[in-house]
Amino acid sequence: MSYTLRGRVETRVAALLVVLLAACALAGALHRWWPVELVALMAGVGLFLDLEVWHRLLPYQPAWATVPLGAVELAALVAIVYGFGLHAPLVPSLGLFGAGWLVSFVLAQAGFPLLRLGYAEDGGELGRIGAAAAGAVLLALIGSAATWYVRLPPVVTLSAGVHKGPLVIRQREILQGKPGAVVRGGIVVAHDDVQIRNVTVLGGTNGITVDGVDGTVLDNVTVEGAKLDGIHVRAAGIVVRDCTIDMLGARFGQGIDISFNMDMGMSVVEGCTIVGGMQGITTHSSMTEIMRNRVSRTRRQAIDVDEMSMGTASHNVIRNAVGVGLYCNDRSMCMFDHNTVVGTRPDRSSGLRTKRGFGVLASFQSEADLWQNRLVANPVAAGTVLNSTLETTRRPGW
Amino acid sequence: MPQVAVVGSGLAGFTAYQTLRRALAPGDIAVFGTDADPAAAWRVRAAAIGQREMRSESDGHCLPTSFPGLAISSVRRRRSPRPLLDSLLDRYHPTVDEFLAHVERLRERSGWDESLVLRTVERVRATDGGFELEWLEAPSAEPPAPGRNSRARLRRTRRERFAHVLLAPGHPGLNVPDELRDDPRAVHSYEPHDYAATVTVVGAGLAAATEWLNALAAGAEVVSVRRREPTRRPLNVPRQYFSRRGLAGFHCLGPHERVERLGALTAPSYPPGTQWDEPLERAAREGRFRVEQTVNGSAQVICATGFRRGFRHDRLLARLVAEHGLETTEGWLVLNPDSTVPGLSDATRTLAVAGAPAQWAFPAADSLAGARYAAHGFLRRIETCRTR
Repeated sequence: MSYTLRGRVETRVAALLVVLLAACALAGALHRWWPVELVALMAGVGLFLDLEVWHRLLPYQPAWATVPLGAVELAALVAIVYGFGLHAPLVPSLGLFGAGWLVSFVLAQAGFPLLRLGYAEDGGELGRIGAAAAGAVLLALIGSAATWYVRLPPVVTLSAGVHKGPLVIRQREILQGKPGAVVRGGIVVAHDDVQIRNVTVLGGTNGITVDGVDGTVLDNVTVEGAKLDGIHVRAAGIVVRDCTIDMLGARFGQGIDISFNMDMGMSVVEGCTIVGGMQGITTHSSMTEIMRNRVSRTRRQAIDVDEMSMGTASHNVIRNAVGVGLYCNDRSMCMFDHNTVVGTRPDRSSGLRTKRGFGVLASFQSEADLWQNRLVANPVAAGTVLNSTLETTRRPGW
Repeated sequence: MPQVAVVGSGLAGFTAYQTLRRALAPGDIAVFGTDADPAAAWRVRAAAIGQREMRSESDGHCLPTSFPGLAISSVRRRRSPRPLLDSLLDRYHPTVDEFLAHVERLRERSGWDESLVLRTVERVRATDGGFELEWLEAPSAEPPAPGRNSRARLRRTRRERFAHVLLAPGHPGLNVPDELRDDPRAVHSYEPHDYAATVTVVGAGLAAATEWLNALAAGAEVVSVRRREPTRRPLNVPRQYFSRRGLAGFHCLGPHERVERLGALTAPSYPPGTQWDEPLERAAREGRFRVEQTVNGSAQVICATGFRRGFRHDRLLARLVAEHGLETTEGWLVLNPDSTVPGLSDATRTLAVAGAPAQWAFPAADSLAGARYAAHGFLRRIETCRTR
């Protein structure tokens, strides 16, 4: 096909309409915006390449060229998604792109030529259909943007000063703390899609409790003086970023405990600073990425991937832990890469050989893959007990 | 009474008919021609040069839309995905047999024979809101009535008026160089022929290339006489000239520039590929194939020089131009970009041209895609006609 510029754009937009409608339906079903964002990005990348590259480069575009052109567009899309940190899951995103590519190929080769008599000789121009498709795509994108805007959770501002807790959040909202905003007695998240930003929590049984809800984001929260867990997550999907948790003095406390949310997708703990507690970060039956955290002075394990979890711990710095730095336990599958574990000390009072001061320990039928970790000044750098394996891999990640 | 007429029952007229059938019933269309088989003339030529494969690709067919192409039906017939994969790579070429079977199938299911009038149109004359076609009635088989002389048995001229007419008169005859016209050794490539022991092939297009290979395969010694080196390209014109991308610039050219461009675009060419090169190289090494500037003493001279060019060689078109003072440039009939005749097409009537005489609008007009292009323009005009 020798596309005219207009034909190329109209063909692109009309083919995209089908994918966009599917993405809108998918977004509605998943209660996530990434499908629509991804298709909007596909449109942007595709149209840019059409206008600036493909039209100039290809006076004639054979059918087979759809494959390399699609690969280039996919690479550009992936680079943008990762470069700008858009949270789109890789495999479904690839699936959506692949479906879009296939739909576009079939429509250009068969659908549009059947629909419009002179499609080939008009250089891919679709006439009124093209204009209608462009209008529909625009409408769908504007509609999606409007829906997104209307559905934005209300922002509740927490003023500076101490607020009496426990604070129970029962609606979608963004709880935005002013500098100096403190909640005494803990916060309980009891609704989906709650974000808590810039809030300090003092005391409470748990600092922040997230139980049975989805889409929680904790951003730049500080927890001090919780009796049990700093952040306590049960059967909930969560992202924790840039938190500070002080568990010094809490005898049974854990900095962050994320448990029993294997069915809720990947959780994330990133950029947190945790001091003290039995465990710094612990996961049970969970899929969690634990990245770029600083954990110190814990009394049993600094980072613990436990009880049939699948977890990645990467680029974390662990200092002065007692017992174990990185722990993969109870039939869990762990990937530990680019972590630094320094100065782990043995727990002599326990008398257990599993607490001899391991930098990394895999226990009870667990599998841990290691790559480029710095294990310094630990009594035992790495070890396994109870039918577990430690392997060095050159391919970090799942 | 039909309002639409197609003059010409060859492949161009047949392809136009298929497009018209999207909007019209067989009873609304009259097709004038000399042969009920739309591939009759083409079949003879293809057989004469021993053509086994089409130069066109999957979309070289007579259907109104480019999809589904012949590759799809080949997949079904051959029970293999290979034709479709080849088509994606622009390497699929239907066989002549597949193409002829496709024409036959379409003929049967489209109502072609119902619309066919086996008469030769002698004259096209513009009238108010349409065109009057003039043809000769068949001679009466009955004896003259008593008292009337035998002249009554002569063929009568019949006239009928149509609002929309598409002229697809086909090629106006075979082109034989003047110097070979009376040469007893000469035969045109499109006429049935065998091969002598020594053969000179004049020309450098697809027919010539096919003749080189066939004559070599028959054991002949071949001399190629050519005025210029042939262009190697997959289709008869560059691909962008099959779509608006290339046509937009072509249609903007002034008359003389357009004549020059047409000369370049329609210069002899045949596809690239080892299936052509290898046998020629092998024969050249064996001393059985060479290129020369003039016809020598070969026992047989094959003129692979195509067809006569220009409206003047076609009686119907020449008369139309003369009677209506139509615009022409250096032998080319000037047409609108959609293949309609300027001055004779307006909101109430359409006169369009398809096939080789329509190259002014579409350089590859003598291909099946070209016939489809003219047909699409014609149908668009009919559908927007105020009086329809």
